[in-house]
Amino acid sequence: MTISRRIFVKSGGLALFSLGLDPLFLARAAFAARPSAGPLDRRILVCLFQRGAVDGLNMIVPHGDPLYYRERPRIAVPQSDVVDLDGYFGLHPRLAALKPLWDSKRLAAIHAIGSPDATRSHFDAQDYMESGTPGVKATPDGWLNRYCQHDREHQDTPFRAVAFGPELPRILAGTAPSLAIADLQAFGLRAPQPAARDRLTRAFEELYAGSATGLLSTSSQEAFQAVQTLQRVDPTQYQPANGADYPRGKLGKAMLEIAQLIKADVGLQVAFADVTGWDTHVNQGASEGQLAARLAELGQTLTAFAQDLGDKLDDVVVLTMSEFGRTVRENGNSGTDHGHATAMLVLGGPVSGGRVLGKWPGLDPANRFEGRDVAVTTDFRDLFAEVLARHLGARDLSAIFPGFTPDPARFPGAISA
Amino acid sequence: MKTRVLLFVATVAMPRVVGAQHAAQLTPRDSALHALNRLAYGPRPGEIERVARAGVLPWIDAQLAPEQIDDTALTRRERDFDVLQYDRGDLARLYAAVQRARQERKRMGDTAVDQPDASPVAVKGRRLAAQVQQLAVVRATRSERQLYEVMVDFWTNHFNVYFAKGADRFLTPDYIEHTIRPHAMGRFEDLLIATAQSPAMLFYLDNWESVAPGAVPPQAMRLQARPFLGRRPALFPPPRDPTQRDSARRRAPQGINENYARELLELHTLGVDGGYDQHDVIEVARIFTGWSIRRPQQGGDFEFHDWAHDTGDKQVLGVEFERGHGMDEAIRLLKLLANHPATMHHIGRKLCQRFVSDDPPDGCVDDAVAAWRRTHGDIREVLRAIFHGPDFWAAANRRAKVKTPLEFVVSAARAVAAEPDTTPRLAQVVARLGEPLYLHVAPDGYPEREDAWVNSGALLDRMNAAVALAAGRLAGAVATLDSVAPATADPQQLIADVDGAILGGTMSENTKRVIGAQLSDIKDPVQARALATGLAIGGPEFQRR
Repeated sequence: MTISRRIFVKSGGLALFSLGLDPLFLARAAFAARPSAGPLDRRILVCLFQRGAVDGLNMIVPHGDPLYYRERPRIAVPQSDVVDLDGYFGLHPRLAALKPLWDSKRLAAIHAIGSPDATRSHFDAQDYMESGTPGVKATPDGWLNRYCQHDREHQDTPFRAVAFGPELPRILAGTAPSLAIADLQAFGLRAPQPAARDRLTRAFEELYAGSATGLLSTSSQEAFQAVQTLQRVDPTQYQPANGADYPRGKLGKAMLEIAQLIKADVGLQVAFADVTGWDTHVNQGASEGQLAARLAELGQTLTAFAQDLGDKLDDVVVLTMSEFGRTVRENGNSGTDHGHATAMLVLGGPVSGGRVLGKWPGLDPANRFEGRDVAVTTDFRDLFAEVLARHLGARDLSAIFPGFTPDPARFPGAISA
Repeated sequence: MKTRVLLFVATVAMPRVVGAQHAAQLTPRDSALHALNRLAYGPRPGEIERVARAGVLPWIDAQLAPEQIDDTALTRRERDFDVLQYDRGDLARLYAAVQRARQERKRMGDTAVDQPDASPVAVKGRRLAAQVQQLAVVRATRSERQLYEVMVDFWTNHFNVYFAKGADRFLTPDYIEHTIRPHAMGRFEDLLIATAQSPAMLFYLDNWESVAPGAVPPQAMRLQARPFLGRRPALFPPPRDPTQRDSARRRAPQGINENYARELLELHTLGVDGGYDQHDVIEVARIFTGWSIRRPQQGGDFEFHDWAHDTGDKQVLGVEFERGHGMDEAIRLLKLLANHPATMHHIGRKLCQRFVSDDPPDGCVDDAVAAWRRTHGDIREVLRAIFHGPDFWAAANRRAKVKTPLEFVVSAARAVAAEPDTTPRLAQVVARLGEPLYLHVAPDGYPEREDAWVNSGALLDRMNAAVALAAGRLAGAVATLDSVAPATADPQQLIADVDGAILGGTMSENTKRVIGAQLSDIKDPVQARALATGLAIGGPEFQRR
């Protein structure tokens, strides 16, 4: 095992050299490839997709720019309400719960981030953000799955890659095993009584152990191992720690279940959840209103998650993403239409937080994309690649983002080196 | 002696008798089971015996002529699906009504707009959309024209569109009924042209707004072509997000869109290694400029826009397409592509993947290509060549395919003689197992290979679905277990009956032993039968075909 790991590190290093990556990064990658202390690598990435295109300008507010107020007479967040971060940017007031995480440097924001593709279609833009190949529709798999395909060093457990929802999302589609869990408590064989359920589970386990061949055999072994693991964990009995109070609703439930799996140490490495309701064309609101309600749910969920994890947060990074941003100027319905760049959040122990990252292009119409939207100055793949490389220790980034050459010089700096 | 001579001649000229030779190496029951597992969605109770008695080769020939198979039982059942009474325009109007109602609620400050819309028109929209998916399951389960339904599924994936993308919410049902189904066993060239001209495909791969750079629509057209909204509305059950909609104002198309051109070459015809390059993609896109939709927001038909067409000369794969031929340029190109050797190989191989093995032997693909060339792409002759080749019958390829979720659910329903109705339960099971119908986002369609379908969560769900079906807990698809096996107090008899009816006698010793042990303390014969059936369908043997 040791030998093969060394070879892996070596060849990974060579591959990086040929990409012209810096020695510090190389050292980091080699560091990340060290045999971990336990049987399971402990680093965990949680991706949270805000479907519908969040208005980055009202999430991380450029309150220091008078243009922001001039363009949004009805929906700008008043300076008096903004939770100031650095004198220029501030949090939406309903995200105030996140301020302590910001102050303790475990939360960063990246502004003016997005896709190099100009589409303003939710369908296409989400597709590109999940496939990791902007402009290329035929990519069969998602980038999170490709990460799992290429990083074989992490032990495959049934819970290595889990999406919380009824269907496997595009981002996790692909050949690496990944699980879609609609309800952790219902995972496994279903029967009216526990005794009947256990009996059914044993029967199927014996059927597959004795007669299954090929992939059916390995997958069924994983399945019953997972069922057993969950039985040990007993999701029905879970109590969040440190007084963490998750909001009711799908997002809170998903993040609670993710926290549960993290604490249960079942080998979770990559988790995915999504939350809808960001497509605020009409009556978006300012400090209060539609968007504010969504942000409150997001802020409370992330705060509860961080509280619940406690020290475990040291190994976890939560990355939010959304397919694009919204127009700088408010529209005739007190809302915003589809734009280009948006803002993303990075939360967790390994985060180099307390900063708004990225190159801010400003709101000056001359610097806007097509004269109307915040320009993209950070390709989303630069952030995703940084998180994969510096947090999870991924080496073969160009295999994860085909057609893209990741360059540490362009990494936004979200993860502490 | 006479037969032998015939056989010898046949290996050169008439591949059908070669099939006879290979099928003859199996028992009639085994060859019937194999054919029912591949050309059909598995056997119904008693069907193995019926096919074995009639002869497997005549049965295959009959399946290759679906129009001659009586299917009145299915036709009767189809009448229950009122979505078939709605054309594109009707569905577009319904969709628009849902949108208007939703906008109205939003304007009134209804913050619950992201929740499922309970208005009658929205409920109707969701019901019809669910019917479209359920209808596919019902046809696959009930039709006597089994091979035809298998091919409809094959082409639906090959020429994938996404039911939840904007206008495809109301264009997809028509696409299935009037583009895919009429051509599923015809000539590939006709099918290819039909998909190229279908509003659903034109919208899905964006060609409807691909125009020559600088082309400007005539004033009248500009007034008519109201900004079209490519939204994800609440009309149909949202796969992920009910709230998404596109920008309220779409910019006028400003140039060529290569999306369809690329997928046409890469996925629909030549294949990724088909010998074309980026230059060809652009030239194909130029040829297709102007292939559009008349009033897409009203569910309109294909329309060629002369004003949008690129008027220069083009060249694809070294072939000149002289300027000035308008929409005929693309027709000529489609005919060229449909019978290009790379296309024959690409699709021939994919058919062999579906019918023979995930990694089909070259010989099988060669047979398919030869038949394609000989018949100018007659799909049924290509299939005949595959079914009569040695690889189709080879022991190594029997039970080599893992069922897709659709194949699993349909074959299970058939095995227990379930009669699915219009409620969407079975389609929901197919979705839960990983294959929500018509909802594959990417243009490559659902994959043919097993690694896409076999994972721990999906396997557990298959077991749950099997137990629920056998126990009669799937409302809308009640099993008729009397046709599987009579309720008996003798566990060995029960296991033998279930083995014969569900697995065609291929149950392993281990499975017999495990089921036997489970039955040992169950006194109620009806309960025992449901358990044995559920275990057999959820067990490993039934996952293969």
